[in-house]
Amino acid sequence: MLMLKPNPSSGVPIYLQLIEQVKYAIATGAVRPGEQLPGIRPLAEELVINPNTVAKAYRELEHEGVIELRQGAGAFVTDNAPSKKDTEKLRTAQAAVAVTVERLRGRGVADADIRRLFEAELLGGKRGE
Amino acid sequence: MSDHLAIETADLWKRYDDVEALRGLNLQVPTGSICGFLGRNGAGKTTAIKVLLGMARPTKGTARVLGVAPNDAGAAAMRQRIGFVSDEKDLYDYMTVGEIIAFTRPLFPGWRRELEQTYLATFELPPHRGIKDLSRGTRTKLALLLALCRGAELLILDEPTSGLDPAMAEDVLRALVGHVAGQETTIFFSSHQLSEVDQICDHVAIVDRGRLVLGGALDDLRGRYQRVQFVFAGEAPHASLKTPGIVRVQRQGRVLTVLTNDSEAVIADARALSPASIDASPVTLKDIFLESVRTED
Amino acid sequence: MLWHKAWLETRWRFVTGLLILTVMTGVSVYEYVLALRMMPLADSVLAGDASPLGAVLRDAITVQREFRGFIWYNAFRDNLTTMGVLFAVLLGCGGVLAEGKKGTALFTLSLPVTRRRLLGTRAGMGLAQCFVIAMIPPLTIPLLAPAVGQQFSVVDALAHGLCLFFVGALFYSLAAFLSTMFGDFWRPLLIAFGVACVAAMAQFAAPEYGLFRIMNGEDYFRNGTLPWMGFVTSAVLASALLYGAAETLERRDF
Repeated sequence: MLMLKPNPSSGVPIYLQLIEQVKYAIATGAVRPGEQLPGIRPLAEELVINPNTVAKAYRELEHEGVIELRQGAGAFVTDNAPSKKDTEKLRTAQAAVAVTVERLRGRGVADADIRRLFEAELLGGKRGE
Repeated sequence: MSDHLAIETADLWKRYDDVEALRGLNLQVPTGSICGFLGRNGAGKTTAIKVLLGMARPTKGTARVLGVAPNDAGAAAMRQRIGFVSDEKDLYDYMTVGEIIAFTRPLFPGWRRELEQTYLATFELPPHRGIKDLSRGTRTKLALLLALCRGAELLILDEPTSGLDPAMAEDVLRALVGHVAGQETTIFFSSHQLSEVDQICDHVAIVDRGRLVLGGALDDLRGRYQRVQFVFAGEAPHASLKTPGIVRVQRQGRVLTVLTNDSEAVIADARALSPASIDASPVTLKDIFLESVRTED
Repeated sequence: MLWHKAWLETRWRFVTGLLILTVMTGVSVYEYVLALRMMPLADSVLAGDASPLGAVLRDAITVQREFRGFIWYNAFRDNLTTMGVLFAVLLGCGGVLAEGKKGTALFTLSLPVTRRRLLGTRAGMGLAQCFVIAMIPPLTIPLLAPAVGQQFSVVDALAHGLCLFFVGALFYSLAAFLSTMFGDFWRPLLIAFGVACVAAMAQFAAPEYGLFRIMNGEDYFRNGTLPWMGFVTSAVLASALLYGAAETLERRDF
């Protein structure tokens, strides 16, 4: 499974980025239930990030039931990882985002502004107005 | 003093003649962490490191490294568990690469022979080359090899990637990260490259003028610090926000920008001023650093 | 490995000193032949000179008429004493503080060895080097003497070697002590030489207690008695200086 290097300066904690990458990989079928994820140390070395961060991401994923950590063997995707339904959900969401972005571009909104609006919505939106 | 802290200082002061390099430094580096030590030039980073290693005696206050005070009788034994790289990275210029490895090896009972071979290859170090003929980058890598092969529990590194090109720097970071995995190894390194601190550290300690101005888990800091932007229908009000946790306030036309470590409180307080819109965005480590070491105005 | 480091740091000074002193001493042996030829001329020149200077010169020539005296006068009294002090001081300079100039002090100090041990190995190596430089050159004399048809007792050579060593060790320790106070190479060197000059001048005032009298083994030459008090005093002072060096180094901030 190919992992992309997380962006440390994006404002999103690295461990969250890893969690998202794993979930996305599962949802798109890049890695299937029962398959093994890279070990903590090799992954940390490959991405050149703190092994504690990888461990934290894996622990969180285990807590959410997405993966299981087998003693001495490694990290494996569980069977009740996001189901096909979730994959569908993600695909639908992807389509919705594509439509919105096209519409905004059509109105002359720059890509950078679109990104900023989405981020603000995600962060500030939680606090309500 | 606890032993879940690899490095601990309490109210540490150091005066050199008439210069106070450290003014009550309180450092806490948890065992097993990779801790970035940040500060402007002259903030006291190198002095702090020297005190931790017993090279300079504190004027006041205490320090404990792996549970031992650096000038105690047991300090030499404690240094068997520490790997150190100085910021100048000078090594004996009358020795060759192989000779200095052979010199250092017997002093450390935990020396990892197999790592020696690995790093000689990874860092491309020629064993028979004289140290005086090495470039700065190569000397840095040799110094790192000497620190990493000791099987040390704690690595104290003063600007380990300075003078290295980006590829070499990444090699070094990879070696550091590989070293920590699986062991209770702590890495404490000072750096001016905030990007690499962002990349591999899980803790930071920011010093300015001899004192700790900010420290703790990096994820924690990133989560807490936010930049909140309030846009007003008219001119941004000049009423000062007294919410605790505000680091900086900037006014420009209709926009009020607040840097804070408690955005909820700020937003709650600012509602009283009826902003037209509220926008919260994350803050990079660079911003946090620059704000922490800014001179008071 | 600390011994090896101390060796690497001082080997050229040691080898140079050993070579220079040995060659100088060897040359003295051959100079005797030349001196013998000059003797009659010197005699005739000084024959009528009744001044005090004349008396001193006549005494010097009398001493040097014999091979043993010639060797004492030229090798031990002049050359070996002067050069011995020079190289003892040169060997004593350096150490961790001097490393500070080159930046490697931090590396050395981060090693799991006490500062005492660092000083101890350096001093041990240095004193051993002083011993070799003190003993080997005198031993060339019994070796080369037959080549000019003379004899020189090995026991005499060893005795003079000891005299050179004890005072040499004292100057070594002085330089080592000064090196823990001053980080540069020059100040310990110049101050130690200054002390040597003062000692030489003091010797004029009180010849009986002269430091260099001990070093060149005058008592042994004239009476066959080794200057035991001188040895003991030198050893005690050298130890005190090395102890002082250790204490100074301990308190030093880098």
